[in-house]
Amino acid sequence: MKAYQADIAKFETTDTQIFGISVDSVPANREFGKQNGITFPLLSDFKRTVVKDYGIFNEEGGYGNRATFVIDKDGIIQHIDEGSVAIDPAGASDACNILTHKKATP
Amino acid sequence: MAPASTQAPPQAPAQPKATPVVPHTNLKVGQAAPDFTLPSTIVGADGRGVRYKLSDFKGKKNVVLAFYVLAFTGG
Repeated sequence: MKAYQADIAKFETTDTQIFGISVDSVPANREFGKQNGITFPLLSDFKRTVVKDYGIFNEEGGYGNRATFVIDKDGIIQHIDEGSVAIDPAGASDACNILTHKKATP
Repeated sequence: MAPASTQAPPQAPAQPKATPVVPHTNLKVGQAAPDFTLPSTIVGADGRGVRYKLSDFKGKKNVVLAFYVLAFTGG
């Protein structure tokens, strides 16, 4: 998450909204965001419906696995990172840049 | 005297990654992202927590969803 925060300027210039999502409560996320200086919204999937919809719910642990999805303006998934690779925002950032360039081309 | 023959290294290169991450998404690039509405850490002008709906961004912005695990966050 800190890596995302550090890169947020880059994301925002590419016309993109970032969300962090976890299965934690809003107060827990607020505290986490405060401690880490996170300015983008952190979403609370405390009912675990979204992690299940996205197929990354860890049944044994009862939490969502780490993953990053990039969704374009048509609501279509354009990029997926899963597991430890999802910690590095470079992949998602590149995908955003590709989307922006796509838009620029008529 | 024969030159020293090239020897194969005795041990195989160490595998740095041993991450048994279990569930994988069944979603694929090119598919529609499942919609959702979730409460957020953002507080609106009315003092209430803002809820975000993914489909509200349709036609407006790209969206990056970074799923994370609070207890194990290192990145």
